[in-house]
Formats: sequence, C-alpha cells, structure tokens
Amino acid sequence: MSTIAQGAVRPAKPRSDFAALAVLLAGAVALLTGFALPWIVPSKLAMSLLAQSLFDALLATSVGVLILQNGRVSFGQAAFSGLGGYAFGVLVARKLVGAEAALLIALLLPTLLAFLLGLVIARVSGVAHAMLTLAVGQAFYEIAFRWRELAKGDDGMSFDLPARIFGISSRSLQDPAIMLVLTWSILVVVLVGLTLFARSRTGMIAAAIRDNEERSRFLGFSTMVPRALVYAIAAFVAAISGVLQATYNGYIAPQMFHWTVSGFALIMAIIGGAKFIVGPAVGAVVLFYIKDFAGQVAEYWPAIVGGALVVVTLTMPQGIVGLARLLWLRRARR
Amino acid sequence: MLIQALNGIVYGGLLYLLAVGLVLIFGLREVVNFAHGALFMIGAYIGFSVAAAGYWWGGLLVSVLAMAIIGCALDATVFRALRKHDHMVTVLVTFGLLLILETVVTTIWGKAYLRYPVPALLSGTIDIAGSPFPIYRLFVIGVSLVVALSLTAWLRFTRIGLYVRAASTDARVTSIQGINVDRLSLIVVGLGTALAGLSGVVAGPLLTLSPTMGNYILIDSFIVVVIGGLGSFAGAFAAALLIGQIHNFGAIYLPWAATILPFLLMVGILIWRPTGLAGSRT
Repeated sequence: MSTIAQGAVRPAKPRSDFAALAVLLAGAVALLTGFALPWIVPSKLAMSLLAQSLFDALLATSVGVLILQNGRVSFGQAAFSGLGGYAFGVLVARKLVGAEAALLIALLLPTLLAFLLGLVIARVSGVAHAMLTLAVGQAFYEIAFRWRELAKGDDGMSFDLPARIFGISSRSLQDPAIMLVLTWSILVVVLVGLTLFARSRTGMIAAAIRDNEERSRFLGFSTMVPRALVYAIAAFVAAISGVLQATYNGYIAPQMFHWTVSGFALIMAIIGGAKFIVGPAVGAVVLFYIKDFAGQVAEYWPAIVGGALVVVTLTMPQGIVGLARLLWLRRARR
Repeated sequence: MLIQALNGIVYGGLLYLLAVGLVLIFGLREVVNFAHGALFMIGAYIGFSVAAAGYWWGGLLVSVLAMAIIGCALDATVFRALRKHDHMVTVLVTFGLLLILETVVTTIWGKAYLRYPVPALLSGTIDIAGSPFPIYRLFVIGVSLVVALSLTAWLRFTRIGLYVRAASTDARVTSIQGINVDRLSLIVVGLGTALAGLSGVVAGPLLTLSPTMGNYILIDSFIVVVIGGLGSFAGAFAAALLIGQIHNFGAIYLPWAATILPFLLMVGILIWRPTGLAGSRT
C-alpha cells in the first residue's frame, strides 16, 4: 500500500452544513481576491507567468484528485489536458462547429473517455498503474506526433480564435490580465467543487474503495462506477487546463501530451502535498516559479528541479501544505 | 519475412537487456527505475566517446564497466536510502535522477544528434534466405542471447543466484537467514545498470544518439516489464520478444497504428490478466 496515496488521510468527520458553508465562504473570498490580482501583480509579464502557473495548477489538481480520491498515481494525465486542447484547437481551426460547441466537446470528450478508461485501468494499482497511464498518455503523444493531417504533427499548429466566444471578445482572452482572473476564478471554483465532492456521498464511497476495495464491495457498493467517476472528474479538470492553454497561446503541439508534462504534474502534486485538495495547486505554482528562476539562472534547470525533487520527496513526504499545516498546529499548541 | 522476424528479434533483444535490468533492480530494491533510460543513454554516450577515438571494443568495455560503477554508487547512495519508502516515492526520486542525468548528458555532449559507428569487424552484410542482412544485427541478437542464457544459468545454478532469487521474493526473510542483502543488491544493481550500458552501446549504431534517445525505449521496456509481470525474468524475456515482433511487423503492415500497437497490447493484456503474463510478486 502506498503511503502517498493512502494512510494518514484524516478520518471523515460527520457531515455538517457549517463546514460546507465555511468552504463556500473561503471560495467566495478567494474569488474576490482574484479580481484584485491585475492590480496587485506588477507587470503584464508577471501576470502572464502567473496565469501559466495556474494552468499547471489545474493539471496538478487533476493528478491530485486521482491520488486523493482513488489512491491511484497517474503518469499520463497530460493525455486529457492535451486531448482537451487538441479537440478545441482542431475544431476551431477547421471551423467544424462554433467555438461554444467546440469548447463543450473539448471538455466532454476527455471526461467521457476517462470514464470508460477508468472502468478498466482502475483495476490495476500501484506501479503498474503508473506505467499503464504513462503508456496511454504516450499513445496520444504518438498519434498527435505522427498524424500530420490532424494538426501538422510535430510542428504544432497555430489557430485563430473566432471573434467572440460566449459574447466575450476573444482578443481579450489572450490578454494576460483577463486570462489571469479567468483562470484564477476557474481554479477556485474547481477547488471548492472538489472539496464539496470529497464530502459528498459518492466522494466518500470513492474514498472507502480507495482504503479497502473488498470491504466496500461486501458493504454492497458498486466499486467500478465511483472510481470511474473520479477518473472522469480528474480528466474534466485536466481538460479545462488544456483548453485554457490552447486558447491563451492560440497554439497546440504534441508536446502537450508528452509524458514529462504528466510527470511534472505529478511532481507538483507531490511537492505541494497530495493529501490536501489545495496541495497540488500550491505545488504547481511554487514549482513553476522555481523552474522559471532556474531557467533564467542556468541552462541546466532540469537538474536543479530534479535535485529539489529528490530532496523534497525524501525529507517532506507530506509536501509544502503538509509542512505548513504541521507548523501551524505546532504554533497553535504553544 | 524471415528478415523481418530477425529485425524484430534485434529490437526485442535490446528491450530484453533493458527490461531485465529493471526487473533485477525492482526485485532486489523494489525501486522502479525511471532513470534506466537515462543510464542506457549515458552508456551509449560513453561508448561513443571511446569509439570515436578509434577503439570500438574498448568503448564497449569502458561503458559497461563505468555503468556498473555508476550503478553501485546509485545503489549505495540513493536506492539504499529508499528502502524504507514506498514504490511511488522511489518513482519520483528516480524521475528526479532522470532529469539530473539528462542534464549531465546535454552539458557534456550537447544536444546534437551523433552517429555511432559500426565496428569494422562487424560491418557488411550476409545473405540470409536470399536477402542481405547486416552482420551487426546478428551480433546484437547474439549479445542478447548470450546475456539471457548466462543470466538464467547464473540465477539457476550458482549460490549467489539463489540468494538473488530469494531476496527478490522476500528481502527481509533473506536477510534474517544471514545473507547480506545490501552487498547482494550492490552486485545486482551494478549488473542491471551495466546491462543498460551494454544495451546502449550495442543499440548505438542502430539508433542515433541524442539526449532523448532513452525516453522512447524506456517506455517500451516498461511495457515489456508490465506485460511480462512485474518482477518476472521469464515474463520479461517473452514479452520483449513479443513487443519486438509487434514493433516490426506493425511498422510494415499497419504503419499508421504501429506506434500505438504496444500500448494497445498492454491495455488488452492488463484487462485480461491485471498482474501480467507471469503474474506479479507484489
């Protein structure tokens, strides 16, 4: 049994409406803070960087949900963000459907696919699951890489957005300030939604299956559907990240599917603390800035990130949020 | 047809050399080594540097020895410390190692593609069933066969082989029996990485050298390990040959689907038998 995926998750407290209210309140405060961000963040460049780190945060959150709710570690979550981005990009570039319908398809296609895949791959656990998801993700990469007619294969494809999406001028969607507020709001809504999901009946059943599948089956629960549902939710969050990236950059490339993207998303989730719903998002933002900083300092930034990864996983298994919580509890006790 | 089957065996043999290293390391240390592809690549680059100076066979020797030493160092410093951690932590740590090793390669050898020469002794072709076939490819088949046979013999008939099999089944009980598992795993991890280096050198003339050359083959060898059943030597051998053939015949008869055939096979086999062909120890 994996200690990252399982173990010290706190036992479920009895459901109270007060806690749900507190979550919603915190979400509302976070949302309002988001609208102030363009005035807090000093420059367009800084806003752009922050927005991009939030794309990563969504993908890392997607990986985190799988760990938290299913106890499954995915090395191929970029398959779903990439698929979202590609579906949106290809449909818009070829004007097959309107931008609104393209958006809907781009979000629902990965979700549905993940649900079907989830029925199958949830049966496999541990390291074999990591390798299996790695292979699935890489299969998508290969298709995007080789299928030149789809989106120019290896070169990637730029595409123009239609003038308006849902009545919003699409040029403003490529403005860092607006994208930052939009992504921040989406991330907050996603995190609140996931918190509520974890407290819901289905979420608790999924957690029960994570802890002991056999016993859950004895209790009379179907163990296939709740798990597949978590895969679908995770893929939905990943797809949002992919669509936002494709929209912001106006560009799609096979690199979006690459297994190192999935690998980094997993790293972010672990560094942030995969036992907490906000952990992966925090890890993503921190790692994004470490990468950015290391990239400016030296060409060999991957080695710096790799070294940090080795140290963090060995010394802080609970991640940044776990460490923060520990320090907070220690102070509160004093 | 025969030629194509032979080409499949060549790739299968390379996969076997990598996969068996993964199986050895996983068996002893329960570490899924994501850095194995990077070790394969470093082996190829070290061999290349010596071969470029004119000593092809020297390159082979130096690379295998250097990789064995690197493997022992890795075991003593990183893998031993990971003993108490769970599988996923080791995956992340070796992923970190992979990033470090790739950076080492790009700083020393650069990002350009390099051509690994074929040794003079093995250049040229030989006629098999009326078609020419490169002698070098036969050499690759020979190397992997020799490794497979001697490894099996070593594991079956020697005392250390017995210890290795015991420790792969249960390292704790084995150490209670008075066997120094740490020293044993030094040998085994060293052997595993040396095989990665050997694989890198013999694969060198067949592929082009680049800092990403390890990624592709690493994923294929993961597929081999998972299909074969995590921790099974015989399973890895069968799966490597299978993937080799699929890789090759797929490229001829189903070129549009060739690259995803191994993935589909893996998904199919895992639906049929979630623990792989030979079952799994964990």
